[in-house]
Amino acid sequence: MSSIIDQGFIDDMALRHLDAAYNLGRWLLGNEHEATDAVHDAYLRAVRAATTYAGGNERAWWLAIVRNCCLARLATRNKTKRDIAIDDAPATAERWLPRSEADDVENRIDSAQRQSLVNRHLQELPLNFREVLILREIEELSYREIADVLEMPIGTVMSRLARGRALLQKALAEHATSQVPHGL
Amino acid sequence: MDCKTASELLPLYFDGELDRVSSRELEAHLDGCADCRDVLVGLDTLRTRLRDEASRHAAPELLRARIRKDLAARAATAATPTATFRMPRARWLALAASWVIMFAAGSVFVPAWNQAGAAGDARDQVARDVFAGHWRALAANSPYDVVSTDQHTVKPWFEGKIAVAPAVQDFAAQGFALAGGRIDYVGSARVPVLVYRHGHHVIDVFVLSQNDAPPQGKRIESQGYVMETVMLGSQPAAIVSDMGDVELARFVQLLGSAR
Ligand SMILES: [Zn+2]
Repeated sequence: MSSIIDQGFIDDMALRHLDAAYNLGRWLLGNEHEATDAVHDAYLRAVRAATTYAGGNERAWWLAIVRNCCLARLATRNKTKRDIAIDDAPATAERWLPRSEADDVENRIDSAQRQSLVNRHLQELPLNFREVLILREIEELSYREIADVLEMPIGTVMSRLARGRALLQKALAEHATSQVPHGL
Repeated sequence: MDCKTASELLPLYFDGELDRVSSRELEAHLDGCADCRDVLVGLDTLRTRLRDEASRHAAPELLRARIRKDLAARAATAATPTATFRMPRARWLALAASWVIMFAAGSVFVPAWNQAGAAGDARDQVARDVFAGHWRALAANSPYDVVSTDQHTVKPWFEGKIAVAPAVQDFAAQGFALAGGRIDYVGSARVPVLVYRHGHHVIDVFVLSQNDAPPQGKRIESQGYVMETVMLGSQPAAIVSDMGDVELARFVQLLGSAR
């Protein structure tokens, strides 16, 4: 039963789903540098493993490789206990705002704050829940695809998704109630 | 439908993973229940916030450039007849083996059905899902959600989880012991799976709907695993395992003759 897939197919696939791969890596590893390296590793592995790819969902296959590369990095990181910089959420109000435009400044501060708030709470979720939320809500994968990427039964995917959603809802709600408008 | 069932089905409905019949039933409940509607709105609010406000990081140009460079380098090597991408066969096998866990979960090779066209594709997908479900279950800690050697425990377990609970029978006396059951997915449908053990083999029996079922007696092989379809009472079912042909034939006969 041979299933030799030509290398071009893997290249096309990796490039087609490169943003999805990078976004997953970025959320798992927390910084640009490592996410870039991990996805590059994943690409090299995918090329070597091309002959064992044999149909099925290509995006799930590729993201599973990406995730494994990220987890490998996390494992080394935990072993060596190095401190790793988590990149700041890109949208802090200060960086975004040309201070002269007074009119919708308030709106934009608000939207930028909301953005960094969601990013922060999502990044603070345990990895198990974070990854399933990224794959479902941002990358829009089906349960089956997520199960394939995470290499776990669909039942586990569903329970993690439910728990992850509940945790994030709770964190955002608590923030909303604890933060009585001050200033603005 | 009560709120407890509704709250279990809501995420599936919201994620587009609930079958049509259950969706209608759930919608009927939602029409009359403000609490459950609130839960649904909560899910939608969270999703909207994540899609609008959480960062979807785009791959940096540096990464694309690196991949393009690798790609070009490989193309150049491949063009030189003396330095091809070939490795000794054993090396390939070792590489393949090192990835086996991942492939058990994801990709499946299934030879094409003989039928052409959409019906053939759909059945192709069924076979793929059945193999993938089986392998995923094998890779998981336990291949079943309910552990029982008692058919009177397994059948009620399915009731309430899926529309039609399958006929469940134990064949321990014949060497095929009922070990438990689980719910798996074929396409977007949740289907009951009966799990049997025969020696060290795990046997999954996916109970399918009439529409999804591949033709009876159809046999598909994939990476040492075999799938064969039988009628289980009035429902078509797909058996998948790595048993030998003789044992499989015996099990097919047992299942087919049940009831
Ligand atoms: Zn209700």
